[in-house]
Amino acid sequence: MLGEILNTYYLQIGSFILINIMLAISVYVPLSSGQLSLGSAGFMGVGAYTSALLTIHFDLPIVIGIIAGALAASILGVIVGIPSLRLSGVYLAIATLGLGEVIRVIFVNWDTLTKGSVGLTGIPQLGREILEFARGLGFEPAMIGIKNNQFVFLSIFIVLLTLVIVILWFVVRQQNSRVGRALSSINQDDKAAESMGINITYYKVISFTQGAFFAGLAGALFAHVIGYISPADFSYHRAVEVLIFTVFGGSEVIIGSVFGAFFLTLMPEVLRFVSEFRYIIYGILLIVLMAVRPQGILDANLLKKIKIKRSKGGVR
Amino acid sequence: MVLEVKNITKNFGGISALKDVSFSINKGEIFGLIGPNGAGKTTMFNMITNIYEPTSGEIIFHGENITGIKPYKITEKGICRTYQNIRLFSQMSTLHNVMVGGHSQSQSGVFSSVFRTKAQRTEEQQLIKKSEELLELVGLLEHKDTIAENLAYGQQRRLEIARALASNPSLLLLDEPAAGMNEKETDSLYDLIKTVQSRGITVLIIEHDMPLVMKLCDRITVLNFGEKLAEGTPEEIQNNEAVIEAYLGKEEDEVDA
Amino acid sequence: MLLEQIINGITLGSIYAIIALGFTLVFGVLGIINMAHGEIFMVGAFVGVTTTGVLGWPLWMAFIAAIVVTSILGYLLERFTLRPLRGKKGVSHLAPLISTIGVSILLENLSHHIFGAGNKPFNTPFSEISINIGSITVYLVQIVIFVISILLMIGLTVWLSKTKAGKALRATADNLETASILGVDTKKIIILTVVVASAIGGIAGILVGMAFNSVSPQMGLSMGLKGLAIIILGGMGNVKGAMVGGLILGLSETMLVAYGDSGYRDAIAFIMIIVILLLRPQGIFGSKVSQERR
Repeated sequence: MLGEILNTYYLQIGSFILINIMLAISVYVPLSSGQLSLGSAGFMGVGAYTSALLTIHFDLPIVIGIIAGALAASILGVIVGIPSLRLSGVYLAIATLGLGEVIRVIFVNWDTLTKGSVGLTGIPQLGREILEFARGLGFEPAMIGIKNNQFVFLSIFIVLLTLVIVILWFVVRQQNSRVGRALSSINQDDKAAESMGINITYYKVISFTQGAFFAGLAGALFAHVIGYISPADFSYHRAVEVLIFTVFGGSEVIIGSVFGAFFLTLMPEVLRFVSEFRYIIYGILLIVLMAVRPQGILDANLLKKIKIKRSKGGVR
Repeated sequence: MVLEVKNITKNFGGISALKDVSFSINKGEIFGLIGPNGAGKTTMFNMITNIYEPTSGEIIFHGENITGIKPYKITEKGICRTYQNIRLFSQMSTLHNVMVGGHSQSQSGVFSSVFRTKAQRTEEQQLIKKSEELLELVGLLEHKDTIAENLAYGQQRRLEIARALASNPSLLLLDEPAAGMNEKETDSLYDLIKTVQSRGITVLIIEHDMPLVMKLCDRITVLNFGEKLAEGTPEEIQNNEAVIEAYLGKEEDEVDA
Repeated sequence: MLLEQIINGITLGSIYAIIALGFTLVFGVLGIINMAHGEIFMVGAFVGVTTTGVLGWPLWMAFIAAIVVTSILGYLLERFTLRPLRGKKGVSHLAPLISTIGVSILLENLSHHIFGAGNKPFNTPFSEISINIGSITVYLVQIVIFVISILLMIGLTVWLSKTKAGKALRATADNLETASILGVDTKKIIILTVVVASAIGGIAGILVGMAFNSVSPQMGLSMGLKGLAIIILGGMGNVKGAMVGGLILGLSETMLVAYGDSGYRDAIAFIMIIVILLLRPQGIFGSKVSQERR
């Protein structure tokens, strides 16, 4: 029965949505302390290449590779984050965009390691490893009535979903705490925040690095889900796409990033019947949205209204 | 002695905003800093909290030289301020504004916040309790969930004071707290500052409302064009020829009108 | 050989400078980064290809056509994406960035539809003509590009410093509120700024087409990114800085390709700005004031 419901195409789109949610959060977190970072694509690339190279060349387990990838991205985040503190607003945006471009060009040119613009193939795939692992424990997909490739896609989806839930839990908890209030106060008035005893350097580096970590994690997972990466996956277009997820959904609230990534990943699939024009529609959508609702689709006010409506409904 | 300001000079591109200004404040005092617009009063606040570093001179706080240390560390040492142009965290609730003020009085980090350790929960509870007390003190407890920018002007000024008090300062700097307030609000501000003093907090206040300053302050320093013109009790200042000429005569006309 | 490379570098640099001018004018007056500038420039290049190649017009008419089309685009950009955001409460600095990105996506994909994905050659009647001075070869195209660029820069500088509209523009860039109190019609000046910046982009588009003999819908992006790097290099909103920054980038790219690793050519611009941002955040020519305005 399960075998008939599970559509691998939908599972795959679901997985892409989850990876994109992670990326959107990687923009949201630095932004919550007032730092507009366009480095997500670059950090994603560092995570992806680190994990891919480690698992291909040193036969490391995928889990270790993914953790190493995310850590490599966050180390780069610290290295870049500290000097970047002197920059704000558009300066930081362009500098991080530039960082992403430099990283991409290095991937293209460091032939011996990265295979240049051709990219890396034969990256161990997460779903297959899980399948083998399960088989090692004496489990066969047929036992729950699904085919092997259905199991592969399903297991990837479940792993990603779990990770996204953990990340959301982490970010929301952090937000509703002393750390979150410090980040938000820096975002609203950094000078006043500093005179309230907040070490803005520390908190800015923390949030910038967390962003790099999430992007690196998403990149490493991306590599092991797709099995093939090239520098083009981490270009300017990716950086802009991720920024748009966050801003479109609403950059003031975390649910905005989730919604933005969900909606905008799904939209091109839904718009397949006009596939030729979908990017034109996408462009127009952005222009109209910013003119009508510059804070993004979701914001604190709208969420409040929805909550009130719901609680009223609940009383009845 | 709580604060000693020693020979502070500040030049901005060749123009002296402060020239060799010195004064010292005793524990428990309400100390007034007055002078015409552009006399360098707010610049002096920025020197004490090190938003700008002085060109020369020293700031001694409880016997420790704090010149040039980071602003957030100065707050940790016990100096907190309000701003002439209100600088609240305008999108946060009233309560959260005060809780940010309590940042230096708490220490939960990322780990304990995410895992909600027992210490973190206790600390958070205490911070909320203390913040609510402060909101009650300034008369804003019923507005604790209001977003700061939706508060009335006078309420915003009082919230800034509560936020500063949350850092548990031994010296509170108030930059024109009565600006834009009506008579009734000014009266309750007077009571508030007196209450603050009764809690053992030393207050340094910049204010243009002369009747309030004269009623409130134990001692006053007058600045004019970046230089110290006079210092003394309110009576001495009111009778000082130089002060009357430079400042009070003109200013009192405005106040009366 | 070195001299020839320097000439190549200056030619490339003067084009970069002109692209950067478009960014810097808009940033100076409106304080925003026009992410669609690269695509407006690309449209200018396609107008050049179509008018000279398909319609067989002379080059000077191609320039006029490009200026007209990009000016109209500039007006539409201001009217429909920038104006709705101006003076609205709760608009963050992200909003104009995103909406101009929207325009860039729209223009890139529209051109893709109309002109196809590949590179289009841009033939000029004198593309093969060259002059030999000793061992150095200089192409006539290079001289034309250089002369037009210089004329454009001089023209813009004179316009900004001598004419009434130019002075009003500078006043608005300095402080929008003060300018409007002093009786400057800032709404008109903002439209003028975006239109002039776009027209300059259109001219740059033809020059790039001539220089590389190729035009594609993707060229807006790579040139746009370099333009961004240059205005940081030279100082945001600084006209002189954009010119010098462009020349520096053009020369360093040419030298790298000639004597170093050409693969890193597209990274130089950003390596330079990362270094510059860390050493001197206000740019080479930026003043402290312009830094505070950001």
